[in-house]
Amino acid sequence: MNKRMTSGIVLLVLGLLCGILLAGVNAMTAPVIQERQLEKVNDTLEGFYDMSQYDVEIVDIKGDTIETAYVLDGKDSGTLDAVVYEASAYGYQSDVVLLIAINQDRTIHDYAVVSENETEGLGSDAVTHDFNLAGSSIDDLSEFDGIAGATITSDAVLACFEAVQDRVDEELGG
Amino acid sequence: MNVKKNFLKGIFEENQLFVALLGLCPALAITTTLENAIGMGMAVFFVLVFANIIVSLIMSNDKLAELVRPVRIPVFIVVIATLVTIVEMVMHAFLIDLYNSLGVFIPLIVVNCMILGRAEAFAAKNKPFDSLIDGAGMAVGYALGIMILGFFREVLGKGTLTIWGSLQVDFGFVFDFLGIEPLELFTSPVGAFMVLGFILAAVVAIAQHRKNKQASSKDVK
Repeated sequence: MNKRMTSGIVLLVLGLLCGILLAGVNAMTAPVIQERQLEKVNDTLEGFYDMSQYDVEIVDIKGDTIETAYVLDGKDSGTLDAVVYEASAYGYQSDVVLLIAINQDRTIHDYAVVSENETEGLGSDAVTHDFNLAGSSIDDLSEFDGIAGATITSDAVLACFEAVQDRVDEELGG
Repeated sequence: MNVKKNFLKGIFEENQLFVALLGLCPALAITTTLENAIGMGMAVFFVLVFANIIVSLIMSNDKLAELVRPVRIPVFIVVIATLVTIVEMVMHAFLIDLYNSLGVFIPLIVVNCMILGRAEAFAAKNKPFDSLIDGAGMAVGYALGIMILGFFREVLGKGTLTIWGSLQVDFGFVFDFLGIEPLELFTSPVGAFMVLGFILAAVVAIAQHRKNKQASSKDVK
């Protein structure tokens, strides 16, 4: 057989072997990684509500901005009490990911930036910054208070809220 | 080949970071804390040692070597990329904080010219055991190099020294004594270049000094 052909086949076999090896490692690590991510989200949700009171239903939305909604049903009443959205938008140099909790009466219960990699000392302040929206209605974002010196990061955060505003009818009804 | 000499050459006379100036990109980018440097050093150690062993095993079989030779660079890259991906997955699962702070520089180990360089220059021409020792020596030399960088940058830039997780030494009292704040400059990229420059100057000065000494001792004879 042609020598070059054989070399190519050797490379192909090596690639296949490596692929199988990686698949094995991935099968081992992927569940752990997913568990960690869920744990982190749960920790934040715990900060919003007393989670022992609710049943959580995870809705995969896969939209541009909103990826997941966590629908919270009261354990006693069985009615929908709140929805927490996980939304992300691109900021100055990274994806800014927020968890936004909306009460059944359409007020914003609370929100938290769970992941970002923005400029240290400017955009990264989004994690602790009070955007002045807690308590106001999701339909009126006029009270939004951005971060001075980090306009683009603030815009990303606002984009997350606006996406939730457009989406909220799906879960809570018009 | 002398095992001890083979190991030590990676740490001193052929140190990949300070003498060969390879692998500078992660060395400059992630050495903001000592902990990052240690994590990066461990990742590079794993990849370099195993890449050297596997490449050497492939190339020391004459028949296989002949088939692989025309496509050896792709073969090396496949081996290295596989090892790096394993490191990345394991780190993501079990060392999430380190994974987040090293970020894109873990996958970038694939294109670290040091690792491909050792595969091509040493492992492809030597026995598996010698390649293992060579890889270990080179990796330890590199890890020590980035740890020195990380040490200076963290102490000067943040006034602390993070060894692992919450194991941290606080040097704040030194700065309090001097009446100044930690120099944040050293945590920025500029500081990385400055620290590297000073260390390189020191390395060159020491090498020069030893050379002169050897030369003068020869003259006396």
